Amino acid sequence: MAEIGHGGKEIVERIMDPAQAKEKIKGLKEIPIRSQIANEVIGIAYGFFSPLEGFMGKADLDGICKNMHLANGVLWSIPILFDLSDAEISDYGIKVGDSVVLTYQGNPMALFEIEEIYEYDKKTICQAVYGTTDDKHPGCARTYAYKDKFIAGKITLVNKPIINPPYDPYFIPPLEMRKRFKEKGWVRVVAHQTRNVPHTGHEWLMKGAWLQTYGELPIDKPLVGVLVNAIIGEKRKGDYIDEAIILTQDELRKSGYFGDHNHLTSLTFWDMRYAGPKEAIFHAILRTNLGLTHHMFGRDHAGVGTYYGPYDAHILLEQHKNELSITPVYSMNWLYCPHCGEVTSEGLCNHKNEWQKFSGTVIRSIILDGVKPPRLIFRPEVFDLVMECAEKYGFGSPFVTDEYLQNRIPVFTIPPLA
Amino acid sequence: MAEEKYPINIWINEERYEKLKAVGLANMCEEMLAGLKVLRVYANDAQKDKILKVFPTAKFDSATTKSIELLPREVKDKMFDMVIEKKSIDIMEEFLSKY
Repeated sequence: MAEIGHGGKEIVERIMDPAQAKEKIKGLKEIPIRSQIANEVIGIAYGFFSPLEGFMGKADLDGICKNMHLANGVLWSIPILFDLSDAEISDYGIKVGDSVVLTYQGNPMALFEIEEIYEYDKKTICQAVYGTTDDKHPGCARTYAYKDKFIAGKITLVNKPIINPPYDPYFIPPLEMRKRFKEKGWVRVVAHQTRNVPHTGHEWLMKGAWLQTYGELPIDKPLVGVLVNAIIGEKRKGDYIDEAIILTQDELRKSGYFGDHNHLTSLTFWDMRYAGPKEAIFHAILRTNLGLTHHMFGRDHAGVGTYYGPYDAHILLEQHKNELSITPVYSMNWLYCPHCGEVTSEGLCNHKNEWQKFSGTVIRSIILDGVKPPRLIFRPEVFDLVMECAEKYGFGSPFVTDEYLQNRIPVFTIPPLA
Repeated sequence: MAEEKYPINIWINEERYEKLKAVGLANMCEEMLAGLKVLRVYANDAQKDKILKVFPTAKFDSATTKSIELLPREVKDKMFDMVIEKKSIDIMEEFLSKY
């Protein structure tokens, strides 16, 4: 049975048979790509970005900038672009109609069939996608860093990435993910988007979303799951290291705060744009393709600084919910109330003067000091694992340092083509 | 108008708590986040600015707690040691004079 993704199109993996691949790319020009583009090649080829089949042309980009839709009328919020400088285009001697090989880490990764070479005003993109042209906005900075021209065309993976330990069990592409959900018997699955090591505020966001998603379903057997989908992409100094994020999220299941019957951890390769409401739409699309039925959105989803209001994402999702095949689940903040003696929702508890709110920064400060927080705030198994990850993967720190950026284990490797 | 003061949270485990008890400062601890003990030393406006400049990883959490966070562990260890040595939480001026 066909697996239908965003926009009503069947999800098809664009991956060439290895025996055919070597012959197909023989003699083609090779263009090395950076990590952002490699992440997006994976997103396209495995169907995370369905219905996209390649990097966007001018009509699609124009559609996104003018009305947040692709040229074919499908809702889409973030441009997926391939850029080259004029000098590179000239040096490689590429033109419309050519096929080239994209290489990563020195090895062939994907076939790129060039359909269009075009220019586009970057400020227009920034204003449309990020609602600002401020170069301090990380999404705008990324846009301004694109080179002179955009190159559009279809992508086909010729060489599958090897996902390195400890990440390997967590890379579950859309078609495989949908199989897993069926095996588990889940009829509804809610997405938890994260880039964090979980404290109990995060844990309760998931538990609350699970309860909201369960709704009217019968309870005699487990029918609803939470999918933690960690975004793995470019890191900044001071972020939690990727290994700690993915392993501690899974630790909540392993240590029994969830179970196999209701919790699964996974990752998606993506460099966050911090586009707030537009990124929320993009996340909804991504998780639709992964086969989820529901998606949790909290306060200031994928925002940065003060560019977006706390509920702008909810408003935009409501405006376009008829074009999405995923139901948004809106979450209130969870906090610790000493009067109740428990973690509770700001929508439930009325001891407002006593509330102790979770602050990601404060939690990080506690971890940095190496002081184990109470289990009501931070699960001891999660704390121990963060410290273990710091030693094993983080060169002594659970947070990204220069040393980590230089010497970390690559999340994936493109091997030589066999 | 009273001068604005910005806390630095020094998280207190059992070992530190015993040291505070020994110098008579255990009652200065407050409870934050489900009973986790914290000792607060304070910086004024100018000291806050100096801390953020001298220790670039530090961050002023303007959104939630209005505290100075993410100071390197060894810096907070030194602050704690100075509190014990001086038997006072009023250490910031002397502490920052070394930087």
